[in-house]
Amino acid sequence: MKWLSFSQLPVFARLLPVMAAVLPAPVPVEAELQGLSETEMSSIDGAGIGLVLENFKFSHGTDEPDASGEQARIFRIGGIKSTDGRDVDITVNHLYIAGANSNYGETLGPVNLGRLLNPWKIDVVDGNDIGIANKAVLEFAASAMVNSDQGYDCMDSGAGPGSGTCSSRPASAGYIGERADIGMQMNVAVGDDRSANINIHAKSAVIDGSYLRLWGDNDRRQMVGQFKLNFYSPELSINACAQDGSTCGSRILMSNFALELAIGNQLQPVFFDVDGSGNFVVEVAAIRRPQPGEIGADGLRGSSDVDAWDFYESYYTNPEFRSNLKIGNFSVGDRDFGSARVQGMLIQHLNIKTRDLSQ
Amino acid sequence: MKSFLRRTILALPVFLFSLPSLAELARLGDEALSHISGQGGIYLSGDISINEMGGPVENSYFGRCDDADKKCGARFAYRLKEDGGWVVLDDIRGNFAFEGLTLRVRKVDSGFGGDGELFNRDVLELGLPNTVRFNDVQFKISSSSTARPTDPGFQQTDIFSVDMRGDVVMEGNLLVFPAGNP
Repeated sequence: MKWLSFSQLPVFARLLPVMAAVLPAPVPVEAELQGLSETEMSSIDGAGIGLVLENFKFSHGTDEPDASGEQARIFRIGGIKSTDGRDVDITVNHLYIAGANSNYGETLGPVNLGRLLNPWKIDVVDGNDIGIANKAVLEFAASAMVNSDQGYDCMDSGAGPGSGTCSSRPASAGYIGERADIGMQMNVAVGDDRSANINIHAKSAVIDGSYLRLWGDNDRRQMVGQFKLNFYSPELSINACAQDGSTCGSRILMSNFALELAIGNQLQPVFFDVDGSGNFVVEVAAIRRPQPGEIGADGLRGSSDVDAWDFYESYYTNPEFRSNLKIGNFSVGDRDFGSARVQGMLIQHLNIKTRDLSQ
Repeated sequence: MKSFLRRTILALPVFLFSLPSLAELARLGDEALSHISGQGGIYLSGDISINEMGGPVENSYFGRCDDADKKCGARFAYRLKEDGGWVVLDDIRGNFAFEGLTLRVRKVDSGFGGDGELFNRDVLELGLPNTVRFNDVQFKISSSSTARPTDPGFQQTDIFSVDMRGDVVMEGNLLVFPAGNP
């Protein structure tokens, strides 16, 4: 047998040992990748991120100053000025998010926020699915509402399955639930005048169905959004106490409190901006006026431009665009004022602008 | 040349011997793979200071934190409209420390009032550290006409500021997982 030098070997023969070492491993792996058909591809949707807080508890506040005037804990909101130019300082004595039955923040227990099967979500959604044509929409959402045969009553802290549209469950004997007690004690100082402590507590609160959607507007080249806040609590209370906590005023008690606030909608999104002088502007533009002749003199569909008529009909009848406030019973101390209800509020135009009072 | 060839031939058995060892790596089926989860996790303790002592630039505007006439915190500006003004998170400074932030992959197949069993998937678990110590953490929410305070025509409205100190109770786990219809 004639020995060949390595360089005289055919290229394939020279590579053979290397290939022999490398090939056996990857080949079977490649065989597992399979192509997707057009139909399969079209049904793929980008998955968002689900978030659940398990056994969650948050608490912070401001302590009384010790003998040397030092405070171990401080939580203060400042930088605000009153109309007469004095500094406004909000001292948060206690802010908590905790489990149900916290006894107005006295005994803090854990709570779950969001459900594994219906979590809080951060997602980029297809605008065409939610009435915002041809836009990718960034959505931050709490647990979605569900059908009333699967959900739980939003108010009743002893609700069972099939009693309402909220997904979050109330606490029960064996489970901490997904409804948090939220509360805050604060006092406000304007200059040297410090107010009494103001306590706000919400029991077993639910924010299911709330969301913030953000996207960009091509014409105005601006960030626009849509904000929905649902807030349900069987008991929302506000009272004021002396600084040392010795005496408290009458408690304002709102039972079965339901707020469904809609700021901005698909037809009238809310615009965010900062103007040239550095002031923050929030604007909901008015809906366009009908062109002359678009809506008939008698206002009926038959005598009007059908598309225009349907546009205004959907704008004025869509319950999703409306804000509601319901209070089951409103009482101050031992005086009952009965129930209150503001329903079907439609924000037709809004323009809020901050102004710097120090200038 | 011949000696080179001889070395090559000597090298060949090495390659050949390596083959049987490769053959010992057995493939895992999808079923077997789905049972594998990351073991252990990460335990983090941290101490983060942001502009606690002074600002990044010392000029007419930024400077040392002990000089009340100058700003020293970090600034984050975001523009909401083309040619519009800026929303600013300004004067961010302070120090926060935590002990025992954990990060791991966990299989949830029980608990959560019956949801866990139906869920039966892996989640990324971020274990909150129970307490986070804030040392004079502060920031301001403002709106401003320019991105930087040194830009011409700078005007700013501070909407409010937040000041936090002491132990903040933050207990629980944040579970992160894909949602939607993958």
